[in-house]
Amino acid sequence: MIQVRGLSKTFSDSKRGTRLAVDNVSFDVRAGEVFGLLGPNGAGKTTTLRMLATLLKPSSGTAALNGFDIVREPQKVREQIGFLSGDMGQYGRLTPLEILNFFGKLYGMDAARRASRIDALMTMLDMKSFAGVRTDKLSTGMKQKTAIARTMLHDPPVLILDEPTSGLDVPTARAIETAIVDARKAGKCVLYSTHVMEEAEYLCDRIGVISGGKLRMVGTMDELRAATGKQRLREIFLDLLGLEQ
Amino acid sequence: MRFPIVSAIYQKEMLDLIRDRRTLISMVAVPLIVMPLLLNLAVRLMSRMQENAENEAKTMAVAIRISTPSIREALEKAQIQLVEKDDLKDAVLKKTAAAGVEEIPGTPSLVQIYADNSNPTSSAAAARVHAALDDLKEARVRESLKNSGIPASVLTPFVVKRTNIAGARKMSGMVWGSMLGYVLLLLMFAGGMYPVIDMTAGEKERKTIEALLSSPATRQEIVVGKNLAAMSAIFITAILTLGSMVYSLKGSHLASKSPEMQEMMRTIPLDPHTVTEIAIILVPLAMFAAALMFSIALFAKSYKEGASYLTPLVFVVIVPALMGGMSGFQMSPALCLIPIFNASQMIRGILVGDVSTANFTITMGANVVYACLAFMVATKQFENENVLFRS
Repeated sequence: MIQVRGLSKTFSDSKRGTRLAVDNVSFDVRAGEVFGLLGPNGAGKTTTLRMLATLLKPSSGTAALNGFDIVREPQKVREQIGFLSGDMGQYGRLTPLEILNFFGKLYGMDAARRASRIDALMTMLDMKSFAGVRTDKLSTGMKQKTAIARTMLHDPPVLILDEPTSGLDVPTARAIETAIVDARKAGKCVLYSTHVMEEAEYLCDRIGVISGGKLRMVGTMDELRAATGKQRLREIFLDLLGLEQ
Repeated sequence: MRFPIVSAIYQKEMLDLIRDRRTLISMVAVPLIVMPLLLNLAVRLMSRMQENAENEAKTMAVAIRISTPSIREALEKAQIQLVEKDDLKDAVLKKTAAAGVEEIPGTPSLVQIYADNSNPTSSAAAARVHAALDDLKEARVRESLKNSGIPASVLTPFVVKRTNIAGARKMSGMVWGSMLGYVLLLLMFAGGMYPVIDMTAGEKERKTIEALLSSPATRQEIVVGKNLAAMSAIFITAILTLGSMVYSLKGSHLASKSPEMQEMMRTIPLDPHTVTEIAIILVPLAMFAAALMFSIALFAKSYKEGASYLTPLVFVVIVPALMGGMSGFQMSPALCLIPIFNASQMIRGILVGDVSTANFTITMGANVVYACLAFMVATKQFENENVLFRS
């Protein structure tokens, strides 16, 4: 589903000069798999995910999502993905229902399909009580549920989730984790970045640790344990970053 | 380019805009409430000031230092109240007298009128004094001629008469044309400012842009949808401004007590045909304004930054909009190429009834070209990730 090959991204600006944010990153994510991308702040997680979501163009290398190349066929790629970032905002003057209808139209869904998908997602995420309330009046959890519904609205085969539970309370984070588990069961390919080790350990089939723009190691929890000799993901993570004594 | 996608973006932006209080104030409240109120207030104030000046000029005394009795009698005959003063200039400046009249002996003797032209009452009083003295001077000349046996007709060997053939509509168009274009263009840019910032920098600040960019909508479709919404906001502002000015100018002649002012207000050429012509001129300008402001506001990361980028642009618009309304410029094909100036000049021309088809076509064509260029720049900017994700 996702094949990343030699992906690199360089940023240049007058203040910080040229900096390599992502350095020759390669990995694969299969259908029905949750792949966790773990790394400290500034490691290159968000830049990698933004390139895969075609928001940024790679400086070199490429990737294919569900068979479509991110450089040559960005529009086709965007039809295959649901992209969510933890700090994404919402259109505050619109209601969740209006937001979902808007994005449904952008995904080319007809009125009947939009109505049935919105109804199903609202039931699944328990959103019906606030579906007609302007988003700027909603709690953070309600907003994030709206964002999750928006991401899954067109039933995409690939989900790219950048710290989706960041700043959420435990029940809302749990609802999102459940949605991810359900997506895996439905055969979706989920690429997931997080800071929360317990979450990664619980959700991810395989984990890639990224630091300084480079992918340090990729494997299942057992493979990571075998390679580092550590048991818990926190210790493995610190070991791979060279911070564990 | 897929029409349903563009339409979805346009509809969403319009819904977002009409629920935004700031946009509603600049787009609807200013043209519909603030402008008519200001206009009505200005007309009433001008009318009241003129009336007060005339009344005061009649009742306020004029300071004099005159030795010739006939001059004093002439002023009294004109029902001007007189008061003896030593320092006439001081009396006028301190407003203890409306004007001053001093007779300075000599051959011929000089009758000096002192007036404070910055004070309408003083000017009106000086005019009354001047008229009374002119009447006295003419009466004396006529009397001398009569005593010498010369007919009074020698004073008027021929009569000079000047007729203004412009007509009331043209005159009114000239006066209001200089103002209407300026107000319309200024409010168009000011009215478009908040919607454009909201859909560019506002989208970045609220962090909604990533969700939009990761949808299957192409960058060009997003730019077209957003620009159409911005253009609609600008055009709605223009139409509401135009409508409210037509209504308040046509209605405000009732507020004025001056017959000249009433005639000027009554004959403003804002009939449906003229208003339609003005609206047509504004279409490509609204497109240009939307795309230009969109390109600039896209650089900003926040609402506040966007406002600081676009506010100077609104001030820049003032100069060509104001100059275009000036009567000294003769419309020419070259001047029709200057953006904003050309629209202001065309609005004045339409009101005066002096627009050639060639100039109209050049203005429309030039503004369409500028709108297309600005749109191309806006699209290019929107495709630039350094602009969209500027940190």
